[in-house]
Amino acid sequence: MRVVRGMVLAGAAALGLAVGAGKAMAFDLGVIAFQMSSETHARVANAVAEAAKAKGWNVTLLNSAGSMPEHAAQIENLTQAKVDALVIAMGKPIEMDAQMQAAKEAGIPIVTVMSGASPHALFDIQVNEYQVGATAALYLLGQLRYQGNILEERFEGNVGTRIRGRILDAVLAENQAVKVLGTHSMARTASWRDDVRAGMEALLLQNQGKVDGIWASFDGQAYIIDDLLSAQGATKGDPVLVSIDGGPETYRRIADPNSTLMATVAIPFEDMGEAAVDLIDRIVVQGQPVEGLVPGPYLLMDAELVDPSNVGDYLKP
Amino acid sequence: MNHLLARFGTPLAGLALFLVFALASDNFFTLANQLTILRQVSFLLILAVGFTFALIAAELDLSFGSVASLAGVVTGGLVHFGYPIVPAILAGLVTATAFGLVNGLLVTVAKIPSLIATLATGSIATGLAFAATNGVAWVGRWDPSFVWLGRGRLLGLPVLIVWSLLTVALAWFVVGQTRFGVWLTATGEADEAARLAGVAVRRMKVWALTLSGLCAGVAAVLLTAALSSAAPTSADDFLMSGIAAVLLGMTMFTPGKANVPGTAVGALMITVLSNGLVLLGAPYFVQDIALGVIILLSVALSASTLKKAAFGL
Repeated sequence: MRVVRGMVLAGAAALGLAVGAGKAMAFDLGVIAFQMSSETHARVANAVAEAAKAKGWNVTLLNSAGSMPEHAAQIENLTQAKVDALVIAMGKPIEMDAQMQAAKEAGIPIVTVMSGASPHALFDIQVNEYQVGATAALYLLGQLRYQGNILEERFEGNVGTRIRGRILDAVLAENQAVKVLGTHSMARTASWRDDVRAGMEALLLQNQGKVDGIWASFDGQAYIIDDLLSAQGATKGDPVLVSIDGGPETYRRIADPNSTLMATVAIPFEDMGEAAVDLIDRIVVQGQPVEGLVPGPYLLMDAELVDPSNVGDYLKP
Repeated sequence: MNHLLARFGTPLAGLALFLVFALASDNFFTLANQLTILRQVSFLLILAVGFTFALIAAELDLSFGSVASLAGVVTGGLVHFGYPIVPAILAGLVTATAFGLVNGLLVTVAKIPSLIATLATGSIATGLAFAATNGVAWVGRWDPSFVWLGRGRLLGLPVLIVWSLLTVALAWFVVGQTRFGVWLTATGEADEAARLAGVAVRRMKVWALTLSGLCAGVAAVLLTAALSSAAPTSADDFLMSGIAAVLLGMTMFTPGKANVPGTAVGALMITVLSNGLVLLGAPYFVQDIALGVIILLSVALSASTLKKAAFGL
């Protein structure tokens, strides 16, 4: 027992000194991703970390693992660490109002990515989710020639995916020859893959042979649906599977004739991460006024539709 | 010397960890950061105290995280939709306590091992929380008097610190200074001997699991107020760290036995570790690894009690 305690003590000391020794007197950037197991959160956070390290900054990269209390604690801890700036990827500004306010009062500038606006953040980097949602919805309906039956895989727990769903509703309300046969709303964040698989499997079983199209609120859901459809022998276009986000795996599937994933709206997550670092550099380090760089609470970036006609442009050789 | 080391070795290791962080980070040993740590540990501490009650009676409660999430949804939902605060708080407390009571009855009347019974009721609580919310968190700028419970200050201290200190002090008193505590401990240590000595063993187990539920309810109300939101899984992640805190607590003061001061120090060590690593700039995965190592070491030091609670060995 004494040996074990000695090991704990020595380990703690070594860990503390090793981590502490690694820090130099440079710009300290805190980065928090709400759920690193989600590819898009990780893409933003890793892009921020990479861009910051390229500038020679110290980066503390944290993962809230989808836990709200952990997310709050991490913002508080980075505030206590007196980082020079904070980037939050896919955060929850309303729930974290008190923590973000405390960070702001401590003089820590915050930039959020795909989180929604907060009075305590400099700005939120976003795509125009209304436009993105409309692009995906209209593409799906176009493929169906504005008639047929669809399934929906939604996620209401994130502001972006929620907006996409609401825009789909608006498009469907004006195009009533397209019927929604069934909807599954992904609820769990920690085990969301199982949730999507179970929900969509049930919907496909209930509606066998009647589904012309499937709308997924983000690509991670679409991968699971694609795998389910492929296992059932479905082919590209029957049904038409459309979602939103983009990324190498999505492009591979769109290009793959054996995959049912037809199109996505590609959101530039890496560009968003790089933009966050670039703008923090200009505003915090160089002292440029935020008003001259970002018009309002949102910095909107462009998203582009990717389907078999242009996926070649996105596939890396 | 060996006896002292056995009782105080782990807190000394915790103190050493504290000193390492204080030396390695300029921002660790500040009043603001120490208050932040004490505030952050509150939810974990209250939930872990509840789990301690269960483990003292040699039972496991693996439902406390899910039950706290459900209780948070009940209280948060009522506040969100404009119901008066006091009934909303009571509803959350009653929900969690009722789950604890059901756990106790399943273990003592239906004779289902607590490991399985509480896993099942935890799953039911999760299902009910999702059914109530459809998976979407209730968020809002709620009544300030409710939010004060989680974010306010009392006598200059963050009020969460006051609630958690009160909970620990009360639990410590109940376990250490009352006949109820003696019976509870006797039930956990040797239930047959306790029964022959006239202790209502089954009733003690029901009480232990009910108190665990009540603590989950208290933590749920405070968490919901602090976050000004109620999500169906908001407290689920406390399960692992709560168990780790209690196991770590079993390596100190009364080694091998669940005890309230040990739990308090264990929870504090986990929170200090998490805070200190962030202040030192450690990446997120180091925290997960550190928590895993803590659980392994503490289980190694307190394996016999855990085996008894989990498998009746």
